[in-house]
Order: sequence, then structure tokens, then C-alpha cells
Amino acid sequence: MKFTYKIVFLFAVLLSFVACEDYIGGDINKDPNNPTSVPVSAQMPALEIAMVDVYGGAFSRFSCMLIQQVEGVARQWQSFNQYTGLTPNRFDAAWTNVYENVLNEVKIAKASASENGYAHYGATLDIIEAFTLMAATDVWDDMPYSDALKGVGSITPAYDTQASIYTAINGLLDNAIAALDGPAGGLVPGGEDVLYGGDIELWKKAARAIKARGLLHNKDYAGAAALAAQSFADASENLAYQYPDINAAGGWYRFNRDRTGDLEFHPTMRALMEGLNDTDRLATMDQIFDPSHTYLVPNFLQELITYREMQFIIAEADVRANTGGTVEGYDAYIKGILASFGRLGFDVETANEYIAQDAIAPGVGNLTLEHVMTQKYIAMFLQPEAYSDWRRTNIPALTPVSGSNIPVRWDYSSDEYLFNSNAPSEGSVSIYTDKVGWNK
Amino acid sequence: MKKFSLILALVLAVTGMALAQRTVTGTITDQGDPLIGASVLAKGTSTGTVTDFDGNYSLNVPEGSTTLVVSYTGYATQEVTLGVSNVVDVVLTEGINIDAVVVTALGLERSEKSLGYAVQQVGGEDIARSGSSNAVDGLVGKAAGVQITRSSGSAGGGSRILIRGVTSMVGDNQPLIVIDGVRTNNETLQSQGATSGTASSNRLMDLNPEDIADVNVLKGAAATALYGTAGSRGVVVITTKKGSQDRFEVNFATSLEVANITQMIDLQDIYSQGRNGAHRDPSTGESGSWGPRVSDLEYSKDPDHPNAPGASAFDAEGNYRFSNNGFLVPKGTGDGVPAETFNNVDPFFQTALGYTNSLSIAGGNKTATFRLSGSNLQQSGVVPNEDYDRTTVRLSSSISPVDALNISGSINYTKSKHTRIQQGSNTSGLLLGMLRTPVSFDNTNGLGAEAAVNDVSAYQFPDFRQRNYRGGGGYDNPYWIINNARGFEDVNRTFGNVKADYELSDWATIGLNIGYDLTGDVRKQEFEINSRTNAAGAVQHNEFSTQLFDNILSIYGGGNLSETLSLSYTAGANAVSFNNHETETRGDGLVFPGFIDLSNATQVSGFEDITRYRQLGFFGQVELGFNDLLYLTLSGRQDYDSRLGNPKDFNLANTGFFYPSASLSFAFSELLNTSSVLSLGKVRLSYAQVGAPPPNAYSTQSVFVSPSIGDGWGDNIGFPIAGQSGFDQSSLLGNGELTPELSTTLEAGLDLRFFGNRLGLDATYYRTKTEDAILNASLTPSTGYTNVWLNSGEMTSQGIELTLNAIPVQTQDFTWGTQVNFTKSESIVDKLAPGIERLFLAGFSSAGTYLVVGNQYGAIFGGAYLREEAGTDADKDLNIPGGQVVINDDPASNEYGYQAVDPVQRAIGNPNPDFIIGWNNTISYKGLGLNFLLDWREGGDLWNGTAWALSFFGRSQLTADTREETATPIEGVLSDGTPNNIPVTRDRDYWTSSLGGFGAVGEQFVQDGGWVRLREVGLSYAIPGTSKFFKGGTIGVYGRNLWFQTDYDGIDPETSLNGTGNGQGFDYFNMPSTKSVIVKLSVNF
Repeated sequence: MKFTYKIVFLFAVLLSFVACEDYIGGDINKDPNNPTSVPVSAQMPALEIAMVDVYGGAFSRFSCMLIQQVEGVARQWQSFNQYTGLTPNRFDAAWTNVYENVLNEVKIAKASASENGYAHYGATLDIIEAFTLMAATDVWDDMPYSDALKGVGSITPAYDTQASIYTAINGLLDNAIAALDGPAGGLVPGGEDVLYGGDIELWKKAARAIKARGLLHNKDYAGAAALAAQSFADASENLAYQYPDINAAGGWYRFNRDRTGDLEFHPTMRALMEGLNDTDRLATMDQIFDPSHTYLVPNFLQELITYREMQFIIAEADVRANTGGTVEGYDAYIKGILASFGRLGFDVETANEYIAQDAIAPGVGNLTLEHVMTQKYIAMFLQPEAYSDWRRTNIPALTPVSGSNIPVRWDYSSDEYLFNSNAPSEGSVSIYTDKVGWNK
Repeated sequence: MKKFSLILALVLAVTGMALAQRTVTGTITDQGDPLIGASVLAKGTSTGTVTDFDGNYSLNVPEGSTTLVVSYTGYATQEVTLGVSNVVDVVLTEGINIDAVVVTALGLERSEKSLGYAVQQVGGEDIARSGSSNAVDGLVGKAAGVQITRSSGSAGGGSRILIRGVTSMVGDNQPLIVIDGVRTNNETLQSQGATSGTASSNRLMDLNPEDIADVNVLKGAAATALYGTAGSRGVVVITTKKGSQDRFEVNFATSLEVANITQMIDLQDIYSQGRNGAHRDPSTGESGSWGPRVSDLEYSKDPDHPNAPGASAFDAEGNYRFSNNGFLVPKGTGDGVPAETFNNVDPFFQTALGYTNSLSIAGGNKTATFRLSGSNLQQSGVVPNEDYDRTTVRLSSSISPVDALNISGSINYTKSKHTRIQQGSNTSGLLLGMLRTPVSFDNTNGLGAEAAVNDVSAYQFPDFRQRNYRGGGGYDNPYWIINNARGFEDVNRTFGNVKADYELSDWATIGLNIGYDLTGDVRKQEFEINSRTNAAGAVQHNEFSTQLFDNILSIYGGGNLSETLSLSYTAGANAVSFNNHETETRGDGLVFPGFIDLSNATQVSGFEDITRYRQLGFFGQVELGFNDLLYLTLSGRQDYDSRLGNPKDFNLANTGFFYPSASLSFAFSELLNTSSVLSLGKVRLSYAQVGAPPPNAYSTQSVFVSPSIGDGWGDNIGFPIAGQSGFDQSSLLGNGELTPELSTTLEAGLDLRFFGNRLGLDATYYRTKTEDAILNASLTPSTGYTNVWLNSGEMTSQGIELTLNAIPVQTQDFTWGTQVNFTKSESIVDKLAPGIERLFLAGFSSAGTYLVVGNQYGAIFGGAYLREEAGTDADKDLNIPGGQVVINDDPASNEYGYQAVDPVQRAIGNPNPDFIIGWNNTISYKGLGLNFLLDWREGGDLWNGTAWALSFFGRSQLTADTREETATPIEGVLSDGTPNNIPVTRDRDYWTSSLGGFGAVGEQFVQDGGWVRLREVGLSYAIPGTSKFFKGGTIGVYGRNLWFQTDYDGIDPETSLNGTGNGQGFDYFNMPSTKSVIVKLSVNF
């Protein structure tokens, strides 16, 4: 009797062992909630909007606050405005968005595109990567690139110099333009490309515009102007994203809604515009932080690189090469101002009234860098690129809000100081004096 | 006359009862030597006494009792039938099976003497007496090594329980809860952020505390080794009440609880809304209370007054919107009515009421028993509109059709409903807006707190815009929140087990225990249009369906191998399966107000989330006893856990791990003279190793997720966006190479009992080394990921537990029993992932809790003042360097004269208490009982984020005291080392700088969160039984948390922002805790 029970018991245990593998294994530990692989077309909208959102987010807010387009007046933004609050952890979100939400996604998507031979897809991804890298290195100078994005393969990525990152950017853009002139491959970007809807010609123009911006930073003015001229024909071709609606509202709208009162239009910029009788544009810009204003709206058009920026590049190169400028540069200068008025919703007549002033339009041969950069500063309102312009030219002249220096770069993310032993040691980077490579 | 007769009859009856008592005296000896402290009990009653130093006793034996039960530890219990004589002397002989029996792992009953590890029992009546509706709260102070933290004073808010501190670095640290031999779900499921949203329950709240017979706390790894992985954080073994044979009992209990909030932070009531001494109207959106003294203001209704606010402050008829009194203007310029100050805090909270009724019927015969119980709890919160209703029904039964077979089962059904209010760190958090409201603004709009709860004109304008002190911006009006940002929760749960044991012989019983636990939890969170969290309005539905199955098949038995050697063993298999399926449906952008429903949303989105794992374990345990003197227990368990499986390349062997344990008990008192005052002396020693799987399922593979885009300065946006879906690689990198994390524990203990249990001391020391801890290790994002699962952490925990039991006084009528539980535990982080110095657990940028190498678990890490000394490399990032505070002496700086900020964050606080003492007392005199429990928590820092934020807004009393102080130099030194001589006033500029709220420095807001607390106090009377029908009862008044003393300067420090999660030590507009008085009547039939 007892023996029988023991047999039954042993059998039950043995059965359990046999069933073990089925019970524990199979797909039990496979995540049922999330896919382990997705097509490149599913990644495209996410990485594009992530890039738009960080550029129009942290990049725009911090940069435009430092050059006194906007002023931090409440809560944390008050301390940022004084520069003292700009501790490394304040740059964590921007750093994470750049590397983890854009560059790493681009890397994975590019690998998938390359594996499947989607050449045009790969080229657009190259352009996105180049744009993001440039925005990042312009505020962070040296940063991990060749050793970055390797996961546990390199948990302390080494730093590359800004010069080498610019070399890589130019390479990416040249390759992209070449690839876009070649065969498309099996899958081409379509509606999931929320920036250009898969329009290859526009992507090529954007690639030239981005390269022009970089050449300008590195003082190749003629090269920059030549590429700028080959880029956008008008503002409709801008590399930009229009957020759809309140459910996926623009970054600036979300900030102003959820942090109402933290930022205001800066008195410095107001005084500058008042001095130029820039009443129409000022009337709009002065009020944008009022939540009922119609500029920072849910379906905000977030521009990444624009026609008017290109026109100002042409103008700048011209006045630098020819004292007082030539017709070509002067025209570009006027077109840039007109496009700025257009962006704010004004018609050409309104713009022309303003331009009619001698101080604004001194005539061909009388144009100075001061003219160009002042107008660019106004036209590039809320564009992070305005911070690069100011650092390059010191126009307009700004007085530090506190202390004796306006920060000329951003600090690295606290994550780098904490988790990357190859990063500079915390405290060794001065945001006030350590200029980025092209600014040295 | 008739009435008189009745009274006379009653009096006679009572006297008769008294007369029917008899007093029995005698001596209890051990063949000559008197036994001190032997227990003498009248059988069938609760009347009893113990012998004195000469072994003498005297007992009033009630009528009906004809037998005395005499017992003494180490001796065979004797029952003596009373004869005619009133003198009864008893001689006890040393017994064999006289040792107390305790329930250990897997429900195995073991003699206390044989245990080589610490176990502590808490009686069900001790938990019920606490008056808490959550069994976890009822354990506070009653067992050494146990630490309990409440999340908030919300009705139905959960509590966190820790046994021996933390064991896992990032995984769940709460113990396994086992009810009647099978594991049960004590999850806290979050449907919103951990530090925002509403309070969440811990699921043990679904058990009616009245159903608990007793609780055994298994503390160390050796005690829990048979549970494998799940037991590595300790096990709370709950045994429920059962029916007993040949007895039919009905119990009815009813209670009323009245609760109020405890401590609130000190707010200033002097200065109005405004900036730099000037008043600013609510319509300006001004957030601060840096205006003039309210006493320097008066009202005006004249829109043409030079100080009149802008047009948006007036309605179409030109009436001022924000107050019927008018707007505020400088004294002497308005209508002469002086400005009022408003207390927007204390009157808001109400007295909470809770009603509990429970009924149980139990009985049985020789072959079957049953117990059926039901209870209903209805509790309102201290916050208006918050409530918690719970109904439980439980049936336990057993049947023994033949002697060898016993079948038992239980089924428990619980339905609970909550209405919850938003709290914590969110713009709809109740206290966030409430405490920030300037004293010059009335959140009730002149209605008074009680009326404002139900009157929309307090918190909303006719155009549906919100009426709050920031002109509709900022934070929700508290009255708006309790009406328009509510969460509803409806939980249906059933759990129980079926158990069968068949005894083949003394040497072998086969047992099968099948446990199930099914929970359905349906939640709806509403956000009306114009909520400050979801301006467009939102509704969020979350449904959780949770299933836990636990099956144990075992064979066990034991007996004597020889005169001196005994053996018992158990072996078996255990299969566990857990599955939680959550679906969330969210509607955003409501079309019109007043109907918060998915059909009224312009965008509906959703997701589902399945968490599942399975475990298989094979276990065995052998206990060898030698001469009742020395016991050796060896056990082993081989576990397989699905969470270690890599679906890409599955290998069963990679999911398995083995836990060995050995324990030794040496009852040295057996060697001593039996008449010794030492009734039991035992030394324990144990060693065990347990492993744990990854804290989360699916950690072995990387996945793509639908991303949420944003940077923390506004709500994120998520896909689908304009009809496009989007995916990105998760920031958390999976790892297919994970191995189980291992903890090795050494434990030593001493158990001493004197005078037959009149005095007892139980001391335990343990040391646990955790290695290969699976960490969600941080990576710098330049690796492409922010986190990775890595076997990388090491931590050492050690602690001391002391329990002192004494019955200092025991006479026939008067007994005083006292118990002191002392707990000290400390966990030091030895190692994190390579190159990683700290790991974030929870908190804010100025102060967060982290794991930091060399530091205590969960150290509070944040901004500090700059000190003279730099701190050496060895203590870099670990503590606050020495020397005086350095003052910023750069005249160009806006913070000139303030403390300079250390560019490096430091460990600025330790949230772990130094020790915890629970001192429990029960005093009884005849039928009267008095009990009290003092709960002393020494140390344990809290970061007072509430004070931090309120200093920015000029709302805290501190800012009122400092803003007009004469400028004096802050204590510290200038950069050249000389004493600071720069006078400053700590005004708005100071409190809105890096040194104040939302600034970089967190150090000045870290405070000692320790306390001494009268956790429980109660007075009860035992109503004697009057007949066979009425068997007596208890009536009592009990207080919970009625008094406490703390140095903490804020909301009651026993609340915790992060609820039951691992990152503790934060106070950020936490829901305040409560104190309560409970009146309870319990009767037996």
C-alpha cells in the first residue's frame, strides 16, 4: 500500500520535471506588451518628432534665454536666468533626448534600412543625424560620437573633438545628397516622414541648408553662401514640423500652458526692437507668453532650419567679403526680413513700411554686419541658431544678467559626470569661458 | 411591585453567580521544589493565575468549571478535576511534548525549541485591537525586525512593510504574505505616477483583520528558505480563524471610528499675495505671498481705483470676480473694510467617520468544522468626498471523512470601493494648491469650508473657468479637486485555498494545498475641463485583472529513530503562476464640461500591459533532534523562474538556482537543574543562501515602445500623433545573460525564558550579504540607453533584534504584561555597476534617494552648501565635507552674501531609522483591560519638500520670520577664510535663489523624521457571560496615533510620498496622517 503511494508521488514529481520546460519556458518571458523589432517606417515618425521636440524644447528655451530673447522670471527659470541654476542636471533631458531618443533611434533605423537596401530612407536618416549632431555639438562642443551608442559594448563612451564631429556631419550630408540622387531601394519614405512626406528634392535642399549652417559656424562664409543659395526657394520648403492639435501640441505651447509665467519676453529684445521702430513684430512677440495669444498655439509650426536663415547667411557672407555689401547680399537681407514678417503673419506691405526706414534698409553698399546680424537676431526669434549667431558675432551687444559673463556653452548632462568616466570631471567645464570649437 | 421583583431577581441572580464561585489554593511543585510562575487555569474559562515564588497559588474558580489546567514550560500539562476540597496541590513531571508549537514555512508546525532561526508570533486579537482596517498597520510595534510606513492618511491608503530592512537593491522589498499556507497578493498597483496621482492600496487590505487568528513573522533566510525566491524578503504567515469541534459560536462586533488629521506644516498668516512688498491681484497669476502685510490692506470695489486689477478680474457687469469683498488696496484708499486673512487649510479637513460591523458563525462536530464571517466597513476620509467601503465574506471549513484524511478549504470574497483624491507632486495635488494659497485669498469664496464642498461658486466661475488664487493658472483649487479630479476604484477579489492531507503513517503524510487569488480592479480617474493637470479635460480608465496561483504538493512526517534521536522531514514541489493584465483607456480633450466620459473625449487612446511569471520549486527539509537538546535542520530548494529565461535562446538550466540552508538549535537549559529560574535557554545558529530572479519580467530582451516625447517642462505627448503610430527602442536595455541575485545570511540568536515564561528575552543578530544584485543600472544616454539590467550590485545588511517579554505583575485579579521590540538594521551598498557611483530610486533634482557606494541604502542625495574643505576622493559624492559654510562673496552675483552652492551633490540625509522600538503593554484588572503601545522611531531623515516649495512662495512661517529681519551676516566664512561680514536679509530674493525653494540646495530642508508616538491606547471591559446563550463580550474605547512627538517641522513624518515603493524619505505635499478614536463592542453567543 505504502509502496503504491510512493510510486504515485514519485511519478507526480517526475511529471513535473518533464513539464518544467513547458511551464517555465516558451514565450512566458517574452514581452507580450512590446515588439522586439519594428519596421523602419514605424520608427520614422517617433525619431523625427523627438528631434523637433528637443530642438524646439530645451535647445530653444535655454539658448534664447541666454541671448535675452526670453527672460526666466519665475520658479526654476528665474535661477536659470541668473545662470546659477544652470547646473549639469538641467541639461539631462536635452542630452537624453539627443542621444537616446534621436541618435540611437537613427542608428537602429539606419541599420535596418541598410540591411534592407532602403537607400533613400538611409539618406534621410543621415540628414536627421547630421542636423541633431550639429545642434548638440554647437552647445556641448566635444562629445561622444564614434564610441557612442554601443550600449553595454561601451558604457563609458570616449569623447570626440568638435572638429571631428563636424567632419562626420559633412560626410553624412554629402553621402545623403549623393544617395538621394541614386536609386531609392525597396521602401521609400512616405506619410510617416512627418517632415517632408518623403519629398526627396526637399530633403536634398535641407541637407544643403544644414551644411551651410555648419560651414558658416566654421567661417567658410563663401561655401556657406553657395550652399544656402542652392537650398530653400521659399519658406514653404523649410525643414519644419507643424504639430497637429491640442492632443499632440507643440513644445512651446505645452511649456507655456504648463509653466505659465515662468518665461516672459525679454526687456533687452523689447528695447532693441523699440529702438528700430519694429512695432508690428514687437506687438506680436511681446505678448506670446499670454496663454490666450495666438502664436504659441497647439498646432505651432516648429521650424528647424529656414529659408530666412539661408538668406541671412548669404547676406552675412556678402558683407564679410565686400564692405557695404553687394546687390546679392542686400537682396538676401531684405528677403530675410520679409520672411520673418511672413512667419509672424504680416503681409508684405506691413514689412515694407518697416523696411522703408533708413536705419533698416541703408541701401546697397551701406549694409553692415551689424545690420545683418541684428535683423537675423530678430528674425530668428526662438530659434536656437540665434545663440550660435550671437556667440560668433556678439551682435547684438548684450549685458550679462548676473556676473560678468553670459554662458558661451552648456554644461554636460549630470549623467555624463556620474556614469561616464571618460567625461571631463564635474566642475572642470566652465559654461562662461570654455567656448565651443568653432568659437575659439 | 412587579418591576421591583424583576430587579430583585436580577440582583439575586448576579449575587448567586458570585456566591457560586469557590476559591481554590495550593502549591505546584516539581517533586519537592516549588515551581515559580506555573500557570493555573480554570478549564473552559479565561480565569487563571500563576504561582508565586513559593509555588503557591490562589484562584477564584467560577461556577461551572470543574477542572484546573496546570502547566509549566518543560513539563507535562496536567488537568486536575476539582473535588470537594478547596486545596489542590499538584506535582508536575517533566514532559516531552510540552514545547510550544509554531507555524513555520509552508505551514509546517515545529516545536519552538527546535528552531534554529527567529520567528515571532503576533496574536490576532493584538491586530484587531489596533482598530486598523489594514492588517499591515495593525502589526506596527508588535514584532522586532518589522518596519511599517504608511503612505498617507487617505482613507484606503496603503502601507509599506519591511522585515529586516531591505534585502533587494531595486526589487520589491516587501515580504511575501502567506495566508493559510498559500501565497497571497499584496501588490500595490499604480495607475498614475508614483509620487503623484491618488493614494494606492496594498492588497492585504482586502483581508478583514477580525478573520486573523495569528500572524507569524518569519524573518531570516533560514526561516524562509523553503519558500525559495519569494521568501527572500521575509514571510508573514497569517493563519485565519477556524471553527472548532463541538462548539457553536456566534460573534458580532461593531465599531465606530472618528478620525482627524495630525500634524500640518506651519504657514504664515501675515503677508498677502504679491511681490516685493506690493500686493498683486489673483488675476495676475502671481504665485507668491511676498506682498504687504494683510493688516495694511483693505477692500475696494471701485474699478477705477488706481490699484484696481486688470479687466480680466471683472465680469461683464463690472463686478470683481475673485471675492465679494472686492479687491485689495492699500489701507486708507479703499472702502475702509480691513482685509481679512483666511485659513485655507485646517477648516478644509473634516472629521472622518468609519463604521465597521462584522459577524461570524463558527462550529463543528467530530468530523467537520466551519466558520463563516462577514464584515462591512464604511469609512469617509478627512478629505471631503474621499471614502472607502469594504465588504468581506469568508468561509473556512474542514472535513475529515476518515481519520487519516483531512480536507479543508477557505474562500474569501472582498469588494472594496474607493473614492480617491489627487495628491502629491502634481498640479491637481490637493495640498499643493491648498498650502500655496496666499492667506489673503479665500478658496471658499466666502462660503466657508463646509458649504464650499458642494457649492460650485466657491471654485468655478459661471464660464467654467476655475476660481483659484492664480487667476485660473497654477494649481487647482482644493474644492475644485475634490469635485472634479476624483479617482474611483472598485475592487472585486476572491482568494482562498483547498487543502488535503492524507496520513499514511506517522512517518508519511501526503499534502496538497492549492491556493488561488483573483483580483479585478476597475479604476476611473476624472479630470474636468480646466484642470491644471489636463487643461482640456481627461478621463482615464484602468482595469487590472490579477491572478496568482500557488500549488504545493508535499510529503512530510517524523518520529523517533531511537531513544535519543528524532527525525522529521518534508519534501515536495511548488508551482506558482502570476499574471496581471492591465488595460488603460484614456480619453483626452473633453467636448463639454459636466460629463467626464470616454464618449465626450476628442481623442481616445489606450494600452495594455501584461505582467506574468511562473516558478517551479522542488524542496526538501530534514530536522534531526538529539535528546530534546540539539536540533539540526537542513533544507534545500531548487527553483526555476521564468523571469530568468531568454525567449530567444531558452535553456532551462539558466533559469534554475539552488538554495541551501542549515540551522542549529541548542536548548542548553535541558542540561541545567530543572528547578532553575531559567525555564528555557536556547542558542540558535543558521546559515542560508537564497536567490532572486530579476525584479521585473521580460528583462532578458530589449523591446521597442511607443514613446512619450517631452522634457519634463510640460506634459509629454504620445503616439498616435495625427494618425501616425511611432515606436522607439526602449531606453532600458535588456540582458539575456542575467543570473539570479544571491543573498547569504548568517544568523545567531539567544532565547532565554525565566520563571516559566514570566520573563523572556529573545535576541538575534544577522548579517546578509547580497551579491550579483540585478540592478536597473544607469547608463549615460550617450550609450544610446539610460538603463540596463545588470548583475552588478553588492550590499551588506546587518541588524539586531531584541524582544523582551515580561509579566511583572500577575495576581488573580491583576496582570500586567509588557513587551519591548527593538529593531536595528542597516544596509550598506558595497558596489553598483562598473563605473557607476550612484543609482536613482526616487525624488527630485534638489534631493533624491539613491543607492550610493559606501552609503546606506536609499541615501538622500542632493545639493549642499559649499564648505571650506573640499572632501577627499574617498568621500567624494558621499557626504557633506567638513569646515564652515562658504559664503558667496562675488559682489556681481545675485546671491552675494548667501551661502555658496557646492557644485557637487552630496549625501545630505539618511532616511533609514537608527532604530525602532515598540513598547506594548496590557494591563488587566478583573474584567477591565488597558493597553498601550508606544512606537519610537529614532532618526530617519525626511526631505521636507513641502517646506522647500513653500519657502519659494513665501508661504511658510519661516519666510515670514526672515523677510523683515535686520540684515545680518549668515554664519560662515568668506572665500579667504575670514568670518562672513556681508549682511543680508533672507527675503524673497533669498528664498527664490539657489538657497530657497526650487533651488539647487536641498540640504537645509533635510530634517529628522523620527518620533515617539502613542500608537495605540485602549480601555476595554470584558462583559461576563450570563448564560449558555450569551457567552460574554468586550466593550472598549481605543485610540490610534493620539499623541506624538517629533522634531520634524511639517506634515506628519509617518507619511511617505513614494507610497510603498523603495525610495523613501520624501515629503512633498503628502496627504496628512490621521489620529483616531474607535469605540468597539464585541459580543459572543
